[in-house]
Amino acid sequence: MSATTPAPTRTGPGGPSPVTPGLGDLWRRARGPLAFLGGLVLLAVMLSLGAERTNEGVLDPEGPNPEGTRALAEILRERGSDVTVARGTEEALVAAGSGTVTIVAHSHRLLPEELDQLAGSPGDLVLIQPTTQALDRLAPGVHVVDRAEAPGATLSPDCDLPAARTAGEADTGGELYATDGETEAVSCYPSGDGVSIVQVPRDGGVTTVLGTGAPLTNEHLAGQGNAALALNLVGERDAVWFLPDVPTHAERATLWDLLPSALLMALVPFGAGLLLLALWRGRRVGPLVTERLPVVVRSFETTEGRARLYAARRARDRAATALRSGVIERVRPALGLGPEASPESVVTAIAERTGDGPEQLRALLYGDATEEGGDVPDDSALVRLADDLDALEGRLR
Amino acid sequence: MFVAFSGALVVLIAGSTGVWVVWAVLATLTAALVVDLARAPSPRAVTFERDGDTSVRLGEPATLTLTVSNPAHRTLRGLVRDAWAPSAGAQPTTHTVSIPGGERRRITTRLIPRRRGDLPARGVTVRSVGPLGLAARQCTHDVPWTVRALPPFHSRRHLPGKLARLRELDGQHSALVRGQGSEFDSLREYVPGDDVRSIDWRATARSDTVVVRTWRPERDRRILLVLDTGRTSAGRVGDTPRLDHAMDAALLLAALAVKAGDRVDLLAYDRRVRAQVRSHGRGSTVPAIVQAMAPLEPELVESDSAGLVSTVLGGHSRSRQLVVLLTDLNATAMEEGLLPMLPALTARHLLLVAAVGDPRVTEMAAERGDARSVYRAAAAERTLSDRHRITTELRRYGAEVVDADPEHIAPALADAYIALKAQGRL
Repeated sequence: MSATTPAPTRTGPGGPSPVTPGLGDLWRRARGPLAFLGGLVLLAVMLSLGAERTNEGVLDPEGPNPEGTRALAEILRERGSDVTVARGTEEALVAAGSGTVTIVAHSHRLLPEELDQLAGSPGDLVLIQPTTQALDRLAPGVHVVDRAEAPGATLSPDCDLPAARTAGEADTGGELYATDGETEAVSCYPSGDGVSIVQVPRDGGVTTVLGTGAPLTNEHLAGQGNAALALNLVGERDAVWFLPDVPTHAERATLWDLLPSALLMALVPFGAGLLLLALWRGRRVGPLVTERLPVVVRSFETTEGRARLYAARRARDRAATALRSGVIERVRPALGLGPEASPESVVTAIAERTGDGPEQLRALLYGDATEEGGDVPDDSALVRLADDLDALEGRLR
Repeated sequence: MFVAFSGALVVLIAGSTGVWVVWAVLATLTAALVVDLARAPSPRAVTFERDGDTSVRLGEPATLTLTVSNPAHRTLRGLVRDAWAPSAGAQPTTHTVSIPGGERRRITTRLIPRRRGDLPARGVTVRSVGPLGLAARQCTHDVPWTVRALPPFHSRRHLPGKLARLRELDGQHSALVRGQGSEFDSLREYVPGDDVRSIDWRATARSDTVVVRTWRPERDRRILLVLDTGRTSAGRVGDTPRLDHAMDAALLLAALAVKAGDRVDLLAYDRRVRAQVRSHGRGSTVPAIVQAMAPLEPELVESDSAGLVSTVLGGHSRSRQLVVLLTDLNATAMEEGLLPMLPALTARHLLLVAAVGDPRVTEMAAERGDARSVYRAAAAERTLSDRHRITTELRRYGAEVVDADPEHIAPALADAYIALKAQGRL
């Protein structure tokens, strides 16, 4: 079993020694990266403390983005108006009073009940591109007739509304409205069949409908009479900027609410148990062992490769030559011929032995040079040649 | 594990009393884990001692013992894994142990290597499980040991037969011819049938009977086994690389030659010397050759024949020797490499080239039927005739050639050696 020879290396110079790092080693190894991570987190926290969180919504009075309206809100505040930003109906109703202007954007987010509540609130309303529902409830008698050909087009006031007249031309191209005759409405900025701004009376105040919010945004506030129009609409009064949040559905009992609480709580220790199980099964007993594997090359691979090349190129002439020379090499010693024997002598020797015609033998063993396109015209001829050579070799044996 | 999941059950039953139950269960579990970890004896302090086989013939088992001592006071329960490379075939891979404090236990691992070469031990891992069985500590120790898997020497079954032939040769041959490699053996009485030319007249004059001289093959001839470890030796014939077949044949020849009183050297070469064994004075070099062969692997480089020839010629033996080159009769490699170098080598030494032929190629040459098979047959014929051409070429330079399939290469090489000895050409 074991050889009688001197052993190769028995034990190394150090003898047995633990290679798994201990707690101290782990701490020494990990403290550098940990300190780096800690420093990074500290830096990030300090940087974020100086930063201001901003809203970036469309027509958001706290948004510094092009579509926001923070500029307008700030100017109103500087002019002494109190601008309240309301994001819920409750908030807006509480802030609205008889001396305030409530600016309503994104009215599509409001539910019908909320619109009714808003209709009953005191003070003036400014609706920016309201929905049909909002128009019906807050500005009765006004309806949408068209859209301006170019949104944000500059129009001239052409009306008696002081706010619009003093502001002059403004980028008010947007939805266009018309009123039915019974309503006492003031219509400004006409375009085509309709107007961009309509003011109608309402219980407890007036409602101004704007076909577009473009003149109020940060991007366009400085252009034309946009700023003047916006400021005139609010005037010296306090403003409530009502920007409803996306409505959430009323709470509904989910499956979790119906389950007993003990079951939910049992999930925590169950999870802990699963974690332990995963650690137990996943922990490997010692590190993986690697090994250099030898190459696996079959020695006849080159021969097979050559066979595939012959077949792919239909190299019948080469294949036939190989088969013929193989047979000649094998039969030559039995015929008493050396490696330098001429074809003529080989053919003569075989003819003597088998009694076949020399011409026929020469064609079989050395090919017929006179034939067009080689003497093995197709694959079946090659197969036939191989069989003929086998038969000849069999007879010579 | 049951303990961990029973916590979930407790909460499920008692959970209605409040969230505190969850916290209590988690705290208990954590406390149990911490206590278990603390109570488990340290796997780091465990010490080891190895003993067992250091070398083994390929295919035979090696037994290794590992003595594990637990210096702690508490009983160490858990797993011990003695890691070896996958091809070492270690069984079992992990041992379940229970070692009382201050005591030692011996665990036994059996290796059945599947590949020749050196197999180093790859570390011993101890997993110490706490008394509750919840948590375990683990540490890997480096416990060095190397087992060398030696060439299997399958051909040693041919050795007795070839030795008998060699002895036969020693006796029968002696009276007949004297050649280059034969030496004077003894004088004996003439028996009818002896060649009259071998009568020693001077000795006959001194004695009262007719005395003849006998000759025997010369002893103490040098044989250099050269293994080509270049790319052609990596090709597998059957399931075994050509190099391993060559080793098998070389070992039989070495064993035979040493028994016949010759001195055997080994050289393994591709682009540089991979292994070298030189015989000094008397004593068998076969074990040293086996050891030197064990770690040899085929290198995927083209062999440098010029370097090989100059190494052989520049070797410490300047006298004539038999150079047995175990390589492949690969037409391109031979024509560009060895053939131009041959005259220099054969002028000084007797060269015997041995190569393993692939029986698959012969099978392919006999394939018939459809066009594909005939193309394969033609390609195989081409390979065979290339081999044949190289063989003829080598013989023209005066080298002996042994070309046989893996089954027959070792006995064929031994026969060639015996024939050379019989002809007194050594």
